Amino acid sequence: MSRKLGAFRLEVVAALVRVSLLTAMQYRASFLAEFVVGLLSAFGVAVPLFLVYARVPVIAGWNLDGALLVTGFFLLYNAFVAGLVEPNLGAVVDGVRSGELDYLLVRPVDAQLVISMRKVAPAAVWELFAGLGVVGVALSRVGVPGPGPVFVAVVLFVAGLVATYGLWLLVICTSFWFVRVDNLRYLLGAITDAGRWPVSVYGRGLRLILTTVIPVALVSSYPAMALLERLDTDLAFGAVATALASLALSRWVLFRALRNYASASS
Amino acid sequence: MIEVAGLCKTYRVPVRTPGLGGAFRSLFSREVKEVHAVSDLHFRIAAGERVGFLGPNGAGKTTTLKMLSGLLYPTSGTLKVGGFVPQERHPSFLQQITLVMGQKQQLLWDLPAIESFELNRAMYGVELAEFRRTLDELVAMLRAEPLLQKPVRNLSLGERMKCELIAALVHRPSVLFLDEPTIGLDVEMQVQVRQFIAEHNRSTGATVLLTSHYMQDIAALTPRLLIIDQGRLRYDGDLEALSREVAPERRVVIRSMVPQLLPLGFLPQGDGMVATVPAGETNALIQRTLAVAPLVELGVEVPPLEEIIGRVFREGRPRSEA
Repeated sequence: MSRKLGAFRLEVVAALVRVSLLTAMQYRASFLAEFVVGLLSAFGVAVPLFLVYARVPVIAGWNLDGALLVTGFFLLYNAFVAGLVEPNLGAVVDGVRSGELDYLLVRPVDAQLVISMRKVAPAAVWELFAGLGVVGVALSRVGVPGPGPVFVAVVLFVAGLVATYGLWLLVICTSFWFVRVDNLRYLLGAITDAGRWPVSVYGRGLRLILTTVIPVALVSSYPAMALLERLDTDLAFGAVATALASLALSRWVLFRALRNYASASS
Repeated sequence: MIEVAGLCKTYRVPVRTPGLGGAFRSLFSREVKEVHAVSDLHFRIAAGERVGFLGPNGAGKTTTLKMLSGLLYPTSGTLKVGGFVPQERHPSFLQQITLVMGQKQQLLWDLPAIESFELNRAMYGVELAEFRRTLDELVAMLRAEPLLQKPVRNLSLGERMKCELIAALVHRPSVLFLDEPTIGLDVEMQVQVRQFIAEHNRSTGATVLLTSHYMQDIAALTPRLLIIDQGRLRYDGDLEALSREVAPERRVVIRSMVPQLLPLGFLPQGDGMVATVPAGETNALIQRTLAVAPLVELGVEVPPLEEIIGRVFREGRPRSEA
């Protein structure tokens, strides 16, 4: 299997994004309906937070403002999953079942790139706005830190996205062997929901899992900790290393999985 | 251009006993059956050749085509296309080939076809000027100008196939794998697609390997035939030689019923009669027939292609001629 990154061209990314946006805009009605869904999901994430903090002022060292920051990053992560990860990787599952992947795999471009970029759900932009809004509100209450912590937070957030994308891809790759993995997807969705709370509220074992095996804490708690200047350098480097490892592993598994691709008979 | 030796593909398929009980049992112990989709296939195809790949459903045609285009990993055996090992999916290999599947579509359903062509242009890295030139040529050959701006979902099946062909050829591939490109099309559209493929092959010199259920596709397009059945090669050679070898007889057909001809070997069929004789004895039979019934209207038929192919499958003897 060719792993050449030479097949990874900017022109292709642009063409894929263009086509997925054009396709998505065919359905204007659903775009607007998703606006409501986006708002509701932001509320759904924020409301339990206010309920809990109405009774207890501080949980595991996090006050409401800090937890709000975590929530904001979690909403941004949700937007990434709903906008890019779910539509694309979900389509891989269907593509394996229907054999629709055939036409993607005969193109002289990087298979991982096409598989991960060919669909965009523009409605996720509402969740993106909601996330930015919540982060903004939280920052206005705790005070905006200097450029250093902001830079670290952004790097960690991107590393977290990469790490969780790798995990999603790994789950999706199992469909090359088992064909139907919808349940696994829902399970992963449910587990990653744990990322909406600051990671230190969990016990030690769970904390380890949420930062390594299912690294959703990297995308929500760590950037918040960076902004609050509560993150050790070790943890930051660890997060980046986890992201790179997750990406490398998922890529390796994807190309192994492609060997197992059986297509569907015509 | 294409070299295939000892090619095998075995699928592992779960076996389920029918009924709820069987489905329940299979949750715990999955019985797996091996299906030999392709076994020990050997052939070579030279650059610029047009070859027809024929066989009943499940013969292994599509599996072979998918292995040749790098989609499936062979279980064993070697194959090379244009000097590349297809399953390595080297970008320079994928750049050279194209795959058209009549049963599946690559066009983006919700968008005008031109968007799919644009996307392929980017994926294959075709220069804009060259893309325009190729597109103009293809559109002219297929008379597809009015189709380009319509959303694909509003195109008829035939119009869609024209656009599928354009999408598959914008990068000027030198090897075309066509899996039932005329399936479901009406006769007129079948003829157009056939003419297009032949013309494209003449003007570009591209190698064409085509599978089809329609014998007319094969008769009109591919001088050389590969017949496979149950994953094995049954025949490799040209159509005429096949018909000489497998169906050496001719059918002498009479349009009316003449009872006096029954002793000559004629049997009633519909309103008329028919006799089947070895090709060499056709003239003798015609003379004898005319001696008995001088005014009878008479014709000689070669058995239809379907029947010839059917015999190869039934008799199942491996033959090679080319």
